[in-house]
Amino acid sequence: MRAFIVIATSAIMVFAMATWVLAQETQTPATVDAAAGLPEWEKIYAVFSHPRCANCHVEDDHPRWSGAHYGKTRFHAFNVQRGIDGSGLGNPGLRCMTCHFETNSAVLHGPPGAENWHLAPAEMVWFGKSSGEICAQIKDPARNGGRTLAEVAEHVRSDKLVGWGWSPGPGREPAPGSAEETYQAIEKWAAAGAPCP
Amino acid sequence: MSKCTKRKLRGRLWTTTKGIPMHLIVDGKPIDIEADPEMPLLWALRDLAGKTGPKFGCGIAACGACTVHMDGTPVRSCILPLREVQGEITTIEGISTDGKLHPVQQAWLEEQVAQCGYCQAGQIMSAVALLDEIDNPSDEDIDNAMGGNLCRCGTYPRIRAAIKKAAALKTAGI
Ligand code: FES
Ligand code: FES
Repeated sequence: MRAFIVIATSAIMVFAMATWVLAQETQTPATVDAAAGLPEWEKIYAVFSHPRCANCHVEDDHPRWSGAHYGKTRFHAFNVQRGIDGSGLGNPGLRCMTCHFETNSAVLHGPPGAENWHLAPAEMVWFGKSSGEICAQIKDPARNGGRTLAEVAEHVRSDKLVGWGWSPGPGREPAPGSAEETYQAIEKWAAAGAPCP
Repeated sequence: MSKCTKRKLRGRLWTTTKGIPMHLIVDGKPIDIEADPEMPLLWALRDLAGKTGPKFGCGIAACGACTVHMDGTPVRSCILPLREVQGEITTIEGISTDGKLHPVQQAWLEEQVAQCGYCQAGQIMSAVALLDEIDNPSDEDIDNAMGGNLCRCGTYPRIRAAIKKAAALKTAGI
């Protein structure tokens, strides 16, 4: 009998743990309202996949350049890379902050700037990814910086480097909407069960 | 104001006629200037502080000729507004100590790197920053660090050789 209780208790604990882990992984509420959530996701995807955001959310080591003046999207010039230490801050001798300071250069083609300029971690990849892939990534704490969706929304609303995407300096198209609108869209999408396309 | 001066100033984003007092530390020495906070550091260094070692090439962080260090990190001074300067500035004129050339300068001399020389102050400052972090850089480390420093004379093979020589000089304590 005692052995049965121990086994049953363990099984309940394992089940509870698995449920918690699953909830953490997917962060999806019990009910999903796709009709309400998917339009909100589309607004979020339009921002995350926009070059002002996606060009520095890359899987490889190269930030991208794109826009009216660049022709097709290309690697950032000057052999700029993530950094051999994986920091996203560039390489010794040529850090991102060698050229990118806290504010945009007012000169066309001068370097844009915001606090703490760096590449997003490689697991937070948006460049070249589909809407469904970005959606799955953003809900996965292993690939979103260990954040809940509420924390993702707050990060989008308050981080200075993220905010740069909506005021990128002369000659660059800003991301659609605003930080506040994107925050609201993430909140509504999460409340609707965070459905993915 | 002459037509020619007007043309030169058009499009400039700072003024040289009104400024606020500022205090900089350049090459270990305090320097007091009066300047528009929008003025790029390079202008303050060259025109107000008399440090003509850093050079103007492009003005948009695309060539590296103006490279100096801010608290040890290389920065393109042509695009760094004075209002964002935080920390000590080191130019090419401040890297030798007690009249002795920095190992990178010594190696540059031994390898006879310079041709016209215009880009070399910036090249040397990037190389110093690289060797501050990596004692014995590989070819790849050198390519990664020096990609933002352009040389119209194409001295790249000699730059690479000089960086390797400088690493050896540094290791030998020379
Ligand atoms: S003059 Fe500063 S990078 Fe060209
Ligand atoms: S030596 Fe002439 S530009 Fe480099």
